[in-house]
Amino acid sequence: MKFPRPRRILLYVLLIFFAFMYVLPFWTCITTSLKTEKDVINTVPIEPAWPTLMPWMDALGIMERPLLNSFIFTLFATIFSCFIGSINGYVLSKIRFKGSEMIFLFFTIGIFIPYQSVLIPLLLTMSRLRLYNSIQGLILVHTVYGIPICTLLFRNFYGEIPDTLIMAAKTDGAGTWTIYRRIVLPLSSAPFVVAGVFQFTSIWNDFLFGLVLARGSEALPASVALANLKGTTTAFWNVQMAGALWYALPVVIVYLILGKYLIKGYMAGAVKG
Amino acid sequence: MVNIIIKNLTKKFGEVTAVKNLNLEIKEKEFFILLGPSGCGKSTVLLCIAGLLKPDEGEIWFGDKLVTSPKHDVYVTPQERKVAMVFQDYALYPHMTVFQNIAFPLEVRGVTKSEIEEKVKATAELLGIFNLLHRKPKQLSGGQRQRVALGRAIVREPKIFLMDEPLANLDAKLRVRMRVELKKLHQRLGTTTVYVTHDQVEAMSIGDRIAVLKDGILQQTGASKELYDSPRNTFVAGFIGSPAMNMLEGNLVKKNDTVMVDLGFSMFELPTWIGEKLQETKESRVILGFRPEHIEITKKWQKNGIEAKVDMLELIGRELYIHFTVGNKAVVGISRPTEDVKIGESVWIVPQEEKIYIFDEKTGEALI
Repeated sequence: MKFPRPRRILLYVLLIFFAFMYVLPFWTCITTSLKTEKDVINTVPIEPAWPTLMPWMDALGIMERPLLNSFIFTLFATIFSCFIGSINGYVLSKIRFKGSEMIFLFFTIGIFIPYQSVLIPLLLTMSRLRLYNSIQGLILVHTVYGIPICTLLFRNFYGEIPDTLIMAAKTDGAGTWTIYRRIVLPLSSAPFVVAGVFQFTSIWNDFLFGLVLARGSEALPASVALANLKGTTTAFWNVQMAGALWYALPVVIVYLILGKYLIKGYMAGAVKG
Repeated sequence: MVNIIIKNLTKKFGEVTAVKNLNLEIKEKEFFILLGPSGCGKSTVLLCIAGLLKPDEGEIWFGDKLVTSPKHDVYVTPQERKVAMVFQDYALYPHMTVFQNIAFPLEVRGVTKSEIEEKVKATAELLGIFNLLHRKPKQLSGGQRQRVALGRAIVREPKIFLMDEPLANLDAKLRVRMRVELKKLHQRLGTTTVYVTHDQVEAMSIGDRIAVLKDGILQQTGASKELYDSPRNTFVAGFIGSPAMNMLEGNLVKKNDTVMVDLGFSMFELPTWIGEKLQETKESRVILGFRPEHIEITKKWQKNGIEAKVDMLELIGRELYIHFTVGNKAVVGISRPTEDVKIGESVWIVPQEEKIYIFDEKTGEALI
């Protein structure tokens, strides 16, 4: 075996450094979450100590309800926005009508609206609708703001379904809705995975809407609860880290289950017979 | 079974006119072909008949029922038209089995389960795909997919079949076989069929009648023999028949009682039956046409012989294609494989008198 050339070595060093930079905070988070209060103060953050699960239990005690809140509104908003996006995508790509291009343009603009700009009117609207500080309210807001990106995703995917398939279904006697239900929807597993994972992570990770639209515990999302762990006077680093890991868990699980399909979905030209 | 009447059909896509003022009558039980090069508007006509496209002007009648008329605001949806369509890419539903594909049009129409089962099986039997019923389209060969697409079309006994280049994606051998099967199927079912193709051989072999289209304009309608024997213009003459008809430009010259074409390098005397027909025609630029299969090759000068140099020989089984240069134009002849010619040799080609065509050079219209 030949000894690697100097340029190669330099490359490896650089790559290892990048990998180290990437992993270090995560590592620190894990070690700290497994330490007692005392060890947190007396040891270097990256150094593992005698493990304890107490911070995990403490964090869960505080975050249990918010995690459940987040899970419920994320799940429902993901399902709703994906389905509506799917129907929109079908209509905009397969049923051309006057102004459909214009409508699609509006959808794409919707993707780029910075959420900060709508916060105050949104808050007022939600409170008039009596949906302020409620799970239903968060489901509604996340569904509505998820529709543009989902529409875009599904429309692009449906562009790959051959038009002749739709024409064949029409001459076979199927109406618009039957075509969607019997032909388009069964061919949509790939975009549903892509849009679903995307929506789940972005709604789960949302902080801004949760912070503004919820208060107290009934509807408080996990992202906001996590920030609250910081406390006002003292910082319990181990509990915060454990809370962060609890918070990350569902997204990790989603990726573990759907990751395989996600890659397939991104590559999908999956409908060719 | 019904007939289809198309009146003054016009369809535009933006600035482009795909079909212009088309008039056609497709008879009951007829196997009717729309033939033309790609982009001639033939598929557009088919989609208008299916109701998948709305024309800008004109009317479409199925029997005595008006199904499309923008003027009278009549538009019967494709779902209600009782037409079945077969597409070039077959358009099978990829997530359904063969059985489910064929059953789909029945299911959508609310046919009972037992009846569906019976009909799908009978159809599959007819098309020889019974053993494939549980496969997905992905697991089928091109020819098998083609049969499934046909099955899905015939299972609900439509009044009209529309086929958009259904054989174009098959290999040459299978195409010839499916052609015969399609014709047989049509004879058996007697369904009025409109068939789109760009392949003139296919058109001539299966069509009862053929409509030739170019740039959205109807050129000629007729049985294949009619199109071959008396093409109405140079486009039809060149499109029907393979290799294409030879065409040489020249001046029509009249001397005493004889009518001649001055080809520049040679004078071609037209037979009396043509001369009589051209009595009214003024001396002008014309095109002399004759098919490759209607020539004689001689080594000595003969009356009306055209001197030609042999460029290339193509032996195609039982025929020999001979490529000549005449003046500065290319001419093709078909002969027996035993024909004694060599590349580079000069010979005389003599078009058969009764198989000569004369077209107006400017308009391309046949003058006789």
